Amino acid sequence: MSLEKPQIIAHIQKSLNYTVFDSQWIPCSAKFVCMGNFARGSGVLQIYEIQHGELQLVREIEKAKPIKCGTFGATSLQQRHLATGDFDGSLNVWNLEVPESPVYSVKAHKEIINSIDGVGGLGIGDGAPEIVTGSRDGTVKVWDSRQKDTPVVNMEPMEGETKRDCWTVAFGHAFNDQDRCVCAGYDNGDIKLFDLRNMSLRWETNIKNGVCSVEFDRKDINMNKLVATSLEGKFHVFDMRTQHPTKGFASVSEKAHKSTIWQVRHLPQNRDIFMTAGGAGNLHLWKYEYPAQRTKKGADDVDMGVAGSVNLLQNVTLSTQPISSLDWSPDKQGLCVCSSFDQSVRVLIVTKLNTV
Amino acid sequence: MPLIVKDHTWTQNQNTVYISVPLKGVKPASVHVICTDEYLKVSFPPFLFEVFLFGSINEERSEARIGNGVAVFTLQKRRDESWEQLFTNIDKDKQKQIREQAVLKVQQKEAEKSKAKAARIQQEKKYALETMMKLENKERDRIQKMKDEECARATAELDFWRETQRKTAEEKENQQKTRGTGPQDNQPVNQKTVTLMRNTGDTTSGQRSRKQTAKDLPAPRSAGCIQISFTPRVFPTALRESRVPEEEEWLKKQAEARRAVDTDLAELDDLREDERNPDWLKEKGDKLFMSGNYQAAVNAYNLAIKLNRKIPALFSNRAACHLKLRNLHKAIEDSSQALELLKPAVAANASARLKAHVRRGTAFCELELYVEGLQDYQAALEIDPHNAALRADSDKICEIIQGTT
Repeated sequence: MSLEKPQIIAHIQKSLNYTVFDSQWIPCSAKFVCMGNFARGSGVLQIYEIQHGELQLVREIEKAKPIKCGTFGATSLQQRHLATGDFDGSLNVWNLEVPESPVYSVKAHKEIINSIDGVGGLGIGDGAPEIVTGSRDGTVKVWDSRQKDTPVVNMEPMEGETKRDCWTVAFGHAFNDQDRCVCAGYDNGDIKLFDLRNMSLRWETNIKNGVCSVEFDRKDINMNKLVATSLEGKFHVFDMRTQHPTKGFASVSEKAHKSTIWQVRHLPQNRDIFMTAGGAGNLHLWKYEYPAQRTKKGADDVDMGVAGSVNLLQNVTLSTQPISSLDWSPDKQGLCVCSSFDQSVRVLIVTKLNTV
Repeated sequence: MPLIVKDHTWTQNQNTVYISVPLKGVKPASVHVICTDEYLKVSFPPFLFEVFLFGSINEERSEARIGNGVAVFTLQKRRDESWEQLFTNIDKDKQKQIREQAVLKVQQKEAEKSKAKAARIQQEKKYALETMMKLENKERDRIQKMKDEECARATAELDFWRETQRKTAEEKENQQKTRGTGPQDNQPVNQKTVTLMRNTGDTTSGQRSRKQTAKDLPAPRSAGCIQISFTPRVFPTALRESRVPEEEEWLKKQAEARRAVDTDLAELDDLREDERNPDWLKEKGDKLFMSGNYQAAVNAYNLAIKLNRKIPALFSNRAACHLKLRNLHKAIEDSSQALELLKPAVAANASARLKAHVRRGTAFCELELYVEGLQDYQAALEIDPHNAALRADSDKICEIIQGTT
């Protein structure tokens, strides 16, 4: 008898000498970038390569301000430029071969950029490559690297409104040149979905606890599912195919981790499998099952979505500190890198994902 | 007294003695036998048969068969000899002694047997436990081995994949080198926009046929701005930040204040309906204050307070009037009263508290009680740190204090 459930194996673990906030695979390679800040208050980018079961430091780049988040989502496969957001509110796009000065730089926000996402690059999807940043100053801005200094879209609180921190942003619904959606999660539990084609707010809801992470299952398709994770161990999976005019999207929620769920990431090779990273240093691997009927007629004869169910495939505890970031490798199924607040980065292998 | 059995029969040969005792209808289950090397006692109530044997026997190798209405004892003699009789003649004392010894011996034997049994059970349990542990360990090892195998397999795959990646990367590099200056991909951004301009005019650009060209990107989006508002709440703080108990208290207090209208005063009969409403009176007072008629405003507020002592705004505004009228002590009293009513300190009554602190502070300073005044200004600054005028005023007071000390 062999093990049937997917196993999460901690392949390599490396202790670092700085606080690491985010780690991202460099597309089409066995390298990844770790971003964080040194104890002396300066930012750092380190590039590691996996060699013979160990991590080799390929390059270390120090910057003036600590770096909070980064993405390769808006760059082409040949260029592989990294877009980062730092503690000062600056958005920079770096060419990692020539990191002395950024390819594109702008003072995006007045306060720390909490989250960043990119779309339109890496040969995925159509349309212009764009970067979205969400910040503690309550605004969400979309940038195009061809337009200097001003954002392409700015989602800001109305005049006189007390601002809430934006904790997470995600692109989705980018299935053709024109359509695109941005989903933003705020610290008071608001989730807002903006339609960039119509420049309007398409949907909003409030899940009571601050939203730590949102992600669409795929950026480049007609929006299918959205997972939003929050404080106090809850996450919600919304079925985004059917929008009811008043009730919005159907959702199923699950309580897990018994602590803040810091991050959710879908497997690039299978959009129904996702992993959540918790504040107690544990990872849960989930699979979403679709319901028999994805829509049903509501009371007033308007279509309503039906949410499916979520099954826990596997879980593992890797550390005592929260795992703050998680990234699946787009090239090798099951390979992922995660970083946690115990100043370490781990490369994990998840097996049996093709038979799940 | 038991009945002594005397109708037993016995036979012997060289090395064994056979004694047969009839059971006289007593069930075999109730027969109790005590046998030592020199003594045999069979008791089956109400009967008793005992015999002090002629010679000593080997008790361990002797047998007793009880059944079919008789008890047959096969006793092995210690020495192979022929006994003349079954009984020996011994005196009463010796008999007694022998009996006691016999009982003791039997007890000992029983004790030993039970001890041995206990020891045996213990051992068997231990053995069972050990085997169970061994099995579990084996199971665990097996699972661990499977996991390790998976891990090793995954690592091997990973290494292999990495190798292939590296090879493809090298190949690509070589290809690029042989092709000379590469296509537009690695050129700076402005060049790209230039080619983009050209492409937008020319739909069938020949560049599309080449595989490694930059894609025709749509122009940057025309700028847009989306205004948002956040979910309203009575107190706009997230669950983790909210100081809910205090806020509830504040709301309750406000609600009570509305209701606590004191209407049993004799003077009120003269007043019109409007003038009995503290809100209307407050508005009147505010208007009078605006127009500069401070004394009249004070009167209005007095009446309002008589009606309802719980509204902090009335005290605060009356304090402002007194300040203008230079009734500084009354101003201090009123703003203190207002601050009392404005507990607990929550975000909702921040502006009200700010005003009360500022008024009281001003009054203190006018009375040249600068230290108290400074305290109030500091409190006001705490509520609103960004107020430049406040900061300037409190700095001035600091200077005055330092100047006088």
